[in-house]
Amino acid sequence: MDDVFTYIIGGKAGEGVKKAGAAAANLFSDLGGKTFKMDDYQSLIRGGHNFSVVSTSIDDIYSHYMEADLIVNLDDRSYQLHKDHIADNGLMIYNSGDTKDGEGIGLPINNIAKKYSKSDLIKGVTGIGVLSSVIGLDIDELENLIKKEYSKGVEENISYAKEIYELAEEKIDKEFTFEKLENNSPIFSGNESLSLGASAAGLDIYIGYPMTPASSILHFFASHKNDLQVMSIHPENEISVANMAVGATMPGGRVMVGSSGGGLALMEETISLAGMTESPVLFVLGSRPGPSTGVPTYTEQADLNFAINQGHGEFPLIVASPGSIEEAFYLAGEMLNLVWKYQTPGIFLTEKHLCESSMNIDIDPSEIEWVEPKMFEGEGDYNRYENTEDGISKLKFPPSKKLIKWNSYEHDEMGYTTEDPEKIKDMHDKRRRKNETLIFDLKERNTVNEFGKGEHVIFTFGSTTMSVREALKFDGIDAKIVQPVYMKPFPTWELEKYKDEGVIVVEQNSTGQFAKLLREKCRIKPKTVIRKYDGRAFEPQELAKEIKEAIR
Amino acid sequence: MKFEELKIESEKENTWCPGCGNFGLLNSVKKAVKKLEKEGIKREQLLISAGIGCHGKIFDYLNLSGLYSIHGREVSTIQGMKFANPNLKVLAFGGDGDAYGEGLAHLIYAARRNADVTMIVHNNENYALTTGQKSPTSNKGFKGPSTPEGNVDEPINPLKLMLSSGAGFVSRGYSGKMQHLIDLIVEAVKHEGFSLVDVLQPCVTFYDTYEIYNKLVEIMEEPAETREKAMKLTDEEERLPIGVFYKEEMPIFNEKAYPELNPVMDRLDKKERSKRIKEIIDNRR
Repeated sequence: MDDVFTYIIGGKAGEGVKKAGAAAANLFSDLGGKTFKMDDYQSLIRGGHNFSVVSTSIDDIYSHYMEADLIVNLDDRSYQLHKDHIADNGLMIYNSGDTKDGEGIGLPINNIAKKYSKSDLIKGVTGIGVLSSVIGLDIDELENLIKKEYSKGVEENISYAKEIYELAEEKIDKEFTFEKLENNSPIFSGNESLSLGASAAGLDIYIGYPMTPASSILHFFASHKNDLQVMSIHPENEISVANMAVGATMPGGRVMVGSSGGGLALMEETISLAGMTESPVLFVLGSRPGPSTGVPTYTEQADLNFAINQGHGEFPLIVASPGSIEEAFYLAGEMLNLVWKYQTPGIFLTEKHLCESSMNIDIDPSEIEWVEPKMFEGEGDYNRYENTEDGISKLKFPPSKKLIKWNSYEHDEMGYTTEDPEKIKDMHDKRRRKNETLIFDLKERNTVNEFGKGEHVIFTFGSTTMSVREALKFDGIDAKIVQPVYMKPFPTWELEKYKDEGVIVVEQNSTGQFAKLLREKCRIKPKTVIRKYDGRAFEPQELAKEIKEAIR
Repeated sequence: MKFEELKIESEKENTWCPGCGNFGLLNSVKKAVKKLEKEGIKREQLLISAGIGCHGKIFDYLNLSGLYSIHGREVSTIQGMKFANPNLKVLAFGGDGDAYGEGLAHLIYAARRNADVTMIVHNNENYALTTGQKSPTSNKGFKGPSTPEGNVDEPINPLKLMLSSGAGFVSRGYSGKMQHLIDLIVEAVKHEGFSLVDVLQPCVTFYDTYEIYNKLVEIMEEPAETREKAMKLTDEEERLPIGVFYKEEMPIFNEKAYPELNPVMDRLDKKERSKRIKEIIDNRR
C-alpha cells in the first residue's frame, strides 16, 4: 500500500527486538499515524529468530504488512529471512559484523554493541537509532524517546542510540517524511484490551496458569493490582484455575480465567461443572496452532469446534470471538455480563494474532454495562435452582442466613442431589429454557458485524477479520465482509438472508471448520474457502490476491 | 428456611451402609458445627464442599451452604470461595481417592500456599462407591475388582506428604472415636491457615478395619514439637496415633498476597473502576 509505512526489526531472542518494535509503534502513534504491530517470536529464550513488524498509516490500519520500507537486521539470519521483504524503494540495514556482501547499508552493530555492558540486549536500540535518523527526528527527540521507552539502562541506551543515529546520519542519505497528525488513540494489545473490557464490567478476580498466548493477561492484572484492584492468582494447574473460579462465583466473585487450547482441554471438566452448577465463569481461549503442544507462539483458528462443543452433557454455553482489538474490549465486558445474567459458562474465543498484536484503539469503559444478576431479595424460602419460566433462578450470595446449595449432581430446586426422573427432566428443561431466553436476548444485540457494501460476500471470524478488512483496501475487490461475533448460540437469525448463497470464507485452519458451521447452521454454500494454516497470520497483500482470484 | 429454623442434619434419606464409618464422621461434624457456633463461627459464614464418592453424600446430609464439587477438585473449590470473600470459613470433605489421588496436586498446593481452608478426608482405603477398587492409601496386596491379584502400589502416607508440603495443621482422627474427632474438627476449622484432618473411616462392605483400628488407635495428647518429629510419628505401625501431629501458625495466603483486598466486599463501584481504567488508557496516549 502506498500510504502505509512498514518497519521490521529482526534478530535473536535476547537482543531487545520486541522492545524496539513496541518503541517504534509508539513513535509512529505519537507522530499521529495509526499503527499495527505484530510480534513474530519463537518458543525459546535466547537465540533463534524474532522479529517485530510495525505498519503505520494515516488511515485506520488492521494488519501488519510484510513488504517493508525499512528493515533493520541485527544478525545475518534476519537479513537472509527478510531480504525479499524489502519494498522497491526500501532501506535495508544489515549488521556488517555478521553479514558479508549484504545489499543495503551495513552498520558495525557488533563492534558498537560490545562497548556496552548489555552487549546483546542493547542491539535492539539500533532500530530506534536508525529510524529516528531516517524520519528526521533530532537528537534531543531521540533522547526523549529512549527515556520514555526504556526504563532500564537508560544512560547506556541513550549513548548507544546516539552512536547509531550519528552513523546513520553519515551513511544513509535516504529520508522518509511523515505527515504529523493528531492521533490521540492509545496502543493496546488484544490481551490488554480484553482485560480492560472485563474490568469495566466489574471483574473481581482473574485466575490463570501461564500458557502462550494467554499469559500476558495474567501479567497485566498482576501489574495493575493496585489501580484496577482485580485479584490475580496463578495456581498449580489449569484444573485448579477453573475450579477455583467456580468456587469464587458462589459468594459472588466475578471471575475470568484464561489459557490456550491445551489448558482449556484441562478445564473442560469444569466447564461442564459450571454448566450444571450454573456458575458464571468467563473462559478466555487464546488459540495457537495445534494439535497438542503444536506451535506455541504462533496463530491458528483450529479451536472453533473445540470451543463450541465444550463440556460433556447439555447446558447453555456462550461462545463469542472478537474481530478486532477494539471489539475485544467491548465483547469481554458484554460476555462477563452475559455469563452473570444467564449463570452459565462463556468462552471468549480468540487467537494469538489478536492476543499479542497491538494497535491504536478507541475504548471507553463508561460504554460498558455492569449488569447485576437476578438476586433473591425476599423473606420466604430460597431455592437455588427455582424452576422459573425463563430458566433463570435468582442468586443469593453467602454469607447468608438462607441455606444455599449449588450442586454438580443433578438436583432438585433446593440444590439437593436427585435421581428422580421428573426432577431430572425438569432441570434439563429449565436449563434449556435458559438457553432460549439467552437466544431471545442475543437477537436484540449486535451478534454479526458487516463491513463494506460490495457485491461479493466474504465470511470470516475472529482475528482474521482484521486481515480481511485490510485486504479489502486493495483496488478491484467489490465485496463486503460478514463476521459473526457469536459462535454459540450461532446467530442464524441474522444470517438467514445468505441461505443458499455462494460465499467466500476466509479462516485460519486446514479443514474449514467455520465454512462447515455456516453450511450446517445456515445452509450457506461456501464456494471458495481460503485457508491458511502455517501459523502465520494472513498478509493483506497476499490475501487480497487470493480474494481477487476467488471473485474472478 | 433460615439456619436457626433448620437442624444441622438434613432430612435426606441416608444411603450409607449400616455401620459405615461415615456415620461417626457425620455425627462428629454436626456436633463440631454446634460447638463452632458457640464459639462465634456462625453457620451462615461457613461454606462446605465435597468431592465424589461415598463421603460426598455428606453434602446432602448437612444443612450447610456450599457447592457439591467434582472428584478431587473440592479443595480448589473452597479456595476459590475464600479468595472471593476471605470473611468466609470454608471446609471441604474429600475421599482418599479425591484428596490423595485425583486432586493430590491441589491438596499439596493448598498446603504450600497456606490457604485458610480445612480439608476433612474420609480415608477408607478403597473406592467404595465404585465397588471397592484400590485407592492411594490401600495397602500393598489389597484385592479389589481392578486388582484381583493384589495391589502392587505402595500406599501413600498422607500425613507425611502434608507435613513435607508445609501444612500448618496436620491431624488424624478416627470415626470410631467421636468425642476426639469433634474436638479435632473444631480445632482444624478454627486454625488460621491450611488444616487437614485425615479420618480413619472403616468401610464395612469393602474394607472393614474396625477391629484393627480399635486395637491400634491411640490418642496423642500433644502435637509433636517439630515437623521432623511429626513425620516420624506418621511412620508408626505398631500403634496408630490420632490427634494433632503438628501445628504451626503461619501467615495465610490472602494476607500474604492481598492483605487489603476482599474482592467481593471491597469491590470498586462502576464509576471508580471506570475512572481507573480511563487513567490507564490516558497514560498510553
